[in-house]
Amino acid sequence: MKKNVLRKVTDEIPTSSMADITFLLIVYFMVTTTFAATRGLDFALPKDDDTPPVIEKEESVLIEIQPSGEYVVDSRPMKLDEILDYLKPKLERNPLKPVIIRPDPNAPYGAMVDVFDELRQGAERGIEVKNISVPTQREIDAFWY
Amino acid sequence: MRLQAKYKQKPNIPTASMADIVFLLIIFFMVTLSFEVDKTQVALPQTQLRFEIPKKAAYVSITDGGQIRVSDGEEISVQVPGVEDVLSFAAGVIALDPHKEFVLKADKTVPYRSVDRVIDALKQAKVEVIYLLSEQERTDSSGA
Repeated sequence: MKKNVLRKVTDEIPTSSMADITFLLIVYFMVTTTFAATRGLDFALPKDDDTPPVIEKEESVLIEIQPSGEYVVDSRPMKLDEILDYLKPKLERNPLKPVIIRPDPNAPYGAMVDVFDELRQGAERGIEVKNISVPTQREIDAFWY
Repeated sequence: MRLQAKYKQKPNIPTASMADIVFLLIIFFMVTLSFEVDKTQVALPQTQLRFEIPKKAAYVSITDGGQIRVSDGEEISVQVPGVEDVLSFAAGVIALDPHKEFVLKADKTVPYRSVDRVIDALKQAKVEVIYLLSEQERTDSSGA
């Protein structure tokens, strides 16, 4: 019996095609991966719907957005970069001063996001606007006086 | 001179570690893979502040034509006829997961009226957090 001495098969796992398979998988995952725009501004809503939002018209700063996208702060037309400077002394007196953003129904959505972003950026400049509210039309109809 | 006759080495490329490298890449792409649930084309507003939106967040998109599409974050978005359907959709999502985040993907030129009604519907459905999807604004083009 000298059978297995003559032809010895080396024991190995055939790995030559593994690279092909794995490259195929890589290409699949690369093609299907989307680095989509998955970032944005968070916009917290009041937690409890039973307590109506307190809109104190007299005490708060009202930022209105015109249909043209221009801003009117407390009945004064203002540019976007002037709003924080206007708010600064008011917030120093009362850090919890409510700021209400009220866009006109025909105002572009982008204008509202711009002013919201601007107010949120105030924290970096030491003008932190803690109390920003964007009441919806239904809330305005229900609670505005 | 018979130097090279004795000891001949076979030419080969060392491929043993290639599989390791390739598997590492596969794992990277598998982990970062997230299917885009909403492929609506909108001109997003630009903001300087942008926060990471959790994966699997539900989407509500509004195009400049006023069309509304919704997605629960798992399935591809579907168009809904009106804002009333956003309320019923959001209520259904919140019933399953009360802390579900919602992403509002609206075109920047959309009249605020549409956005207002969608936000109001989400509020009524007791959504806790909405993210306003945006693009990065460059600092040199600040102001509006």
